[in-house]
Order: sequence, then C-alpha cells, then structure tokens
Amino acid sequence: MIRQEDLREDILNGELTNLFRWFLGLPEDSLSPFPGLMAAGVAVGMLVGFVALSAVFFIWLERKVAGRIQDRLGPTRVGGKFGWLQTIADGIKLLVKEDLIPRDADHILFRLGPYIAFCGAFCAFIALPFAQGWTAYGTGTGAFAIGVFFILAVMSTEVFGIILAGYGSGSKWSLFGGMREAAQMVGYEIPMSLCVLVPVIVAGSMDLGKISANQAGWFWEWYVFRDPFTFVAFWTYFTCATAACKRAPFDLAEAESELVAGFHTEYSGLRWSFFFMAEYAAMFAVSGVAVLLFGGGWHLGLPVWTLVGLSPELSQVLNWPSNVLNIGNAINAGVFIVKCWVLVFVQIWVRWTLPRLRIDQVMMTCIKYLLPISCFLMLGVSLWEVFARPYLGDYFKFVLAGLVLISIIITAMRVFTTPMKLPTPGIDAPWGPRIPAEFTIKRS
Amino acid sequence: MDFFLGTYYPVFMYLVVVIGFAIAAPLTAHLIAPRKVTPVKQMPYESGMDPIGDARMKFDVKFYLIAILFLVFDVELLFLYPWAATNQTTGSLIPSAFKDVVFWEIQAFLLTVVVAYIYAWRKGVFKWR
Repeated sequence: MIRQEDLREDILNGELTNLFRWFLGLPEDSLSPFPGLMAAGVAVGMLVGFVALSAVFFIWLERKVAGRIQDRLGPTRVGGKFGWLQTIADGIKLLVKEDLIPRDADHILFRLGPYIAFCGAFCAFIALPFAQGWTAYGTGTGAFAIGVFFILAVMSTEVFGIILAGYGSGSKWSLFGGMREAAQMVGYEIPMSLCVLVPVIVAGSMDLGKISANQAGWFWEWYVFRDPFTFVAFWTYFTCATAACKRAPFDLAEAESELVAGFHTEYSGLRWSFFFMAEYAAMFAVSGVAVLLFGGGWHLGLPVWTLVGLSPELSQVLNWPSNVLNIGNAINAGVFIVKCWVLVFVQIWVRWTLPRLRIDQVMMTCIKYLLPISCFLMLGVSLWEVFARPYLGDYFKFVLAGLVLISIIITAMRVFTTPMKLPTPGIDAPWGPRIPAEFTIKRS
Repeated sequence: MDFFLGTYYPVFMYLVVVIGFAIAAPLTAHLIAPRKVTPVKQMPYESGMDPIGDARMKFDVKFYLIAILFLVFDVELLFLYPWAATNQTTGSLIPSAFKDVVFWEIQAFLLTVVVAYIYAWRKGVFKWR
C-alpha cells in the first residue's frame, strides 16, 4: 500500500530535485517547490526527447534491417556511411509537404485522429520506470502504484485515434482499416492484460518499479524463469503486444497489399508521420513493459557488484555525496534501454520475416488460442503460487534458466559454425542457413 | 492522508509538453507547407477511379459481435486486477482469514466466465462468416 506521505517524501528527496536544490543553493530539507518543478521539467524534457529520438532511430533501424533481410542495402546516402540521417531528412520533407484533407472527410475527426494516437502512445511513458525511481512521475524513488494498469489503459486509447482516422477520412480503404484495427485491438487487449496479470500475481503489486526490483540478482531471478506459466506468459505477452502495436504479421489495419495503406490512406505530411511516431513509441513502451515484468527490468542479470564485494544494489554503489546524482541508476537505465532495444529489434525482425495473416486468422488466433492460453496461465500461476510453491520451493527457476541458457548456447554454436553464402555475389554473411552451391549466383 | 499536488507536477508537465508538441508541429507545417486545393486532389483515394458512393456504409455485424464478446472479458479483467495485486502479499487489503475464501471465489468467478466462453464457442459466435 502506498501512502501520499511516502510520495511526498520521494518527490522532495529525488535525485534531480536534490541536484536543483544544490544548484539553487537551497538547504537539503527545504520545502521550496522550485527544485521539484525544475526537476520535473528536466525529467519530462529528457523523456520526451528520448522517446522522440528513439522513434527516429527505430525508423532508420527498421529500414536497415529490412534491407539486410531482403538482401538489399536500405538507406545509404543521407548523413554519410549508413544513411543514419535518413529519418531526419524524411521528417523535413514531411514538414514541408502539403497537408491534404479530402473533401468527404469529417474535418474535426480527421484532424483529431493522429493527435489522439500520438498522445496515447507517448503518455504511456509517464509510468515507465527506467531505473529505480526514474519515472516522469515522481522524480525520486517515487512509485507509480498502478503502473502496469496505467500503461495498458493509456496505450489502448491509441486505438481511438486509429478508428477516428479510419472513419473520419471518408475513404473506403480507411474505413476498412479502421474497423479491422478496432476489432483487433479490442481482441488482443484481453490476452495481453491476462498475461500481464501473471507477474502481477507473482509480485503481488501493480507497481512496475517494485516488480522489477524483485528481480534483482542473477538472471534466474527474472520472472520469465520463475515457473512454467510465467515462461509461457512472456511469449504470449510478446505476441499480443506485437499485435496490439499493429505490427506485422498482425498489421491488418494497414495491409498495403489489400487496403492501399489502411487507416492512413488519406493522410499526408506531418499528420501521417504522427501515426508512425505513435507506432514506434508504442513498440518501445510494450517492450519496456515486457522487460520490466518478465526480463529483470534494469538489472543486468549478473550481480557484478556483489561479486566484487560491493553493495548488492547498484544504485547505492556509485552514489555521489548527498545523493546529488546517482551514476549507478544511470547505468541501470542504460541496461534497461538496451534490453528494450533488443525486444524492439525482435519485433522488426519478425515483421520482415513472417508473412501477413488474414483478418479472420488474426481474430481466431486471438479468440481460440491466445485467450484460453492466457486464461490458463493466469489460473495456473495463481494455483502454482498457492499450492506448488510451498512444496517445490524456489528451485524450479534454476532448472528453467539452465535449460534456456543451454539451448541458447547450442543455437549460437550451430549458427556461428555453419558456413553460408548469400545469393548475392560478393557479400558474405556471417551466419544463416547453408545454401547449396548450385543455387548461388555466379559472378560473371 | 494529505494530498500533495507536487507529486503530480511531472504528469501535468508531461501532458502539456506532449499535447503542446502535437499542436505545435502541425501548426508549423501549416505555416511552411504549400497549400493549393484542387478538386481532384481533394477526392478520396479509390485506386485511381472516381469514388463510387459514400464511404460511410453499413458495416459487417461480425465486428460488433466480437466487440461485445470482448467487453465481457474486459469487465472481468477489471475485477481481477485488484485481486491479483493483493493475492499473495502479506499485510494486504484482504484480511488473512478471508484469503482462502476470496481465492476460491475468484476461481469460481473465472469458472462462470469459462462456461460462458464455451457456450459462445458451441453457439458458433467464433465462426468468421
């Protein structure tokens, strides 16, 4: 149970707040609101900047990864070697592009759609802790007591933007896309929320910071490995999250082979780019939730600091005097961000590898498979916690973590020891399936 | 329990920044971007054809059926969240004497939902016709 007094303590003793108190020359225990306000402003600025920048980075990454998977290069020109400024160039182009509103469109709904999608996806980050107490909400060790619930609720407002865009455009393609998206989002919310319930039951808290703090130490403390139900729940959650972000193979709302561009057929310029910023921000947000709930949060999985004989909590190790700025927390935040990037990369990888499903297949996967599976997982984990755990003890996680580690090592060894050549002459790929020599193209 | 507004400053500020960005960016685009309206440009896109009829037509009822079915599960989930958060913790909102009762009540509640789900499946609600 969280008390307002604790929250008040947190905000008054937050790291950034202390930094500004020190900067303004105020005593440690001063109750002036300015340090808190300035700290809030900086925290919010950093967060919005980070989310926007990571969206820009992911758009570039997606095009590069798609290029590699499809045996082409992707962007190469803008900004030097890897075309890393391509997204900025595209952004400037979109900014100066004519903003069309079709004649049949409902003008208010048409304008409102992108804003709602954008705000819905970006506001999820309020409750996403990057390290111990590093949330926009409560710059101190503050905790968002219902963080998971808040993120799920806010993320699902994104669908309103999509439906409004689809309905308000006055185009048939858009309407089809919007209706599909509505059905899909309403459907996949349920198994996703049920899978989120699994770690919530294990931790006994909806506070993302607390759930993640419970997973400190070695990697077998992570909730993925805790019992068989959490292990399956992670994969089910990630599938549903991919669908809830309307990413391929579930991107029926914008299926370009059937619906031109789905709900954003009629959009151009900056309004169009708002949908994409929302999509990439949502990808990062759901990956962040997956990391916090199942993947150990901001913990590395190797208790380096304990091994070298320091305090187990990294945040307490590298602490400047008077708690001004916490470098340990910054390292933890870096670990968290890298983990999220890995999951976002997996989403991109899946998008360019798997073919798109049909709309009935998408809906039936949800209703007939994911919903019963996630219900079973939720029931199973609650029964496991009550009945199996007192008898089995805490040892199951070692078995599961060991098996996963061994399978990862075997897969990695097989992948890296198999020689391979891509069909394109002259490009050697480091790993992948072996292609027989008669199928490769000879350089003439 | 005193209410301290300062805890919510970051949330307010975040909302202001996000909504401000969402308003300012299209405003900039409106000032910079060219604007030359022609009738053909304003036509809804229908793969190069002139649009036939209104886009706001009757829509297939199966989408609504599925939406209604899922609303039931959504409400069920709302009940499950507070229970899930207080199920295992010691010293939680549920008194320890009632813990077993609440646990089995939730299982019974889920059983009723499962029965409804099986009924809907047998009735053919999940057939995509």
